[in-house]
Amino acid sequence: MWSKIPTAILFLLFAASALADSQWTLQQSTLTYHVSHPMHQIDGVSHAARGKGVCHEGQCDFLIAVPVKSFDSGDSNRDLHMVQVTRGAQFPMITVRTRLPETDADSSSIHADLEIQFAGQTAQFKQVPLQLNKQGSEIKVTGTIPATLPDFKIDPPRF
Amino acid sequence: MSPKTAQLLTAVLALVLPLILLDSSWCQGETLSCKVTSPTGAPVASAKVVVRNLATNQSTDTLSTADGTFSVPNLTSGDYEISITAQGFSPKVVKTTVTSTPAPALEISLTEQASTLPEAPSSNLPNAPSSTQPSLSDLGFPEAQTQGSLEEQARLDKRSHMLKTHQKLGLITTAPLIATVVTGFGAGGKNPSNTDRTVHAVLGSTTAGLYIATASFAIFAPKIQGTPTRGPIRVHKALAWIHGPGMILTPILGAMAFNEKSKGEKVHGIASAHGAVAIITAGAYGAALLSVSLKF
Repeated sequence: MWSKIPTAILFLLFAASALADSQWTLQQSTLTYHVSHPMHQIDGVSHAARGKGVCHEGQCDFLIAVPVKSFDSGDSNRDLHMVQVTRGAQFPMITVRTRLPETDADSSSIHADLEIQFAGQTAQFKQVPLQLNKQGSEIKVTGTIPATLPDFKIDPPRF
Repeated sequence: MSPKTAQLLTAVLALVLPLILLDSSWCQGETLSCKVTSPTGAPVASAKVVVRNLATNQSTDTLSTADGTFSVPNLTSGDYEISITAQGFSPKVVKTTVTSTPAPALEISLTEQASTLPEAPSSNLPNAPSSTQPSLSDLGFPEAQTQGSLEEQARLDKRSHMLKTHQKLGLITTAPLIATVVTGFGAGGKNPSNTDRTVHAVLGSTTAGLYIATASFAIFAPKIQGTPTRGPIRVHKALAWIHGPGMILTPILGAMAFNEKSKGEKVHGIASAHGAVAIITAGAYGAALLSVSLKF
């Protein structure tokens, strides 16, 4: 029995481009989900996310998307089962949207309201703490989204 | 009970038992079934459907199939709003009530769009939509990667269902397999007891029957193209090349040994390999089970 799939861990590296209304582009990313199983712990990882942020009048709208099929847990059979359980063939993308003040780029930590679309469902996560590390025109964002399968009306896989 | 009667009974059991043990599908809640049609009554395929519970505000997305139908299972009774968007048609919103009483499929007719309108922004974003919001198409994913497929989802659902049954039957098969191996030590050698041999033969036949049923669910599960096999499942599949032929060979050699012993002869020739083949087969089977149970 698969007991739970509790969190998604984010590592995002955004780079700014010099435009009048500034834009951010996702350069690198690591997204991880974690599964607790009575006999082992599993982490599924994807580096396939793409993202963009568009800033206008002091507000930045971010969109990050990742294909459900891109997560790799080290076992192709388990990955296919995860795609089936999360209805990844019918809804192949996970999207994360948020809007942040442009001034947040100078902070070392922020709280973001995230809207996640996954498995045909939309769930909102308020005030998710994220850590920011700015290096020149690049910002590294890390954080953990407390998302679980029931948030998206997905029955956790069980034997 | 004669050995032949016992073997016949075992064969019948081996065929019937897997059918009894198969997982029965079940669902919770009510199912909303609808059909999306054009003004001419033709089915509208791939229409995007959002079903929202008006009490809880929870929504479920789906797509209409090639015949224009869609269904949303596991709904609780109550009032729902169905929003439908399809290329070339005006968006349509209808309200319906889902009850525990089965109702005929609802037909929703769309009206053709006079001109192509820009895609409406999502209405349930945490913040008000703005013209600066990037869209999925801005991210450069290939269209094939972002388009959902109900057919592929159905194939995955069937595959998972069959492999779960394979998993359950595989575990169930372990019990008669172990019992067969244990009783095998008392059935051979100089033991003159026909009863011990018969019990061993019955258990062995049951194991073989269950094994064939187990293997069938893996062999006939839909294959998903473009998915290279990685991880412990490779070991699991490789071991099937040992226990698969072993599970065919072991009963044949066992039947030969059984006949020789029944005639009062010493087991000889190829039949004398029955025990060794059985042990290798059982070992490979156990290793196959462990390969997908333990992380390594």
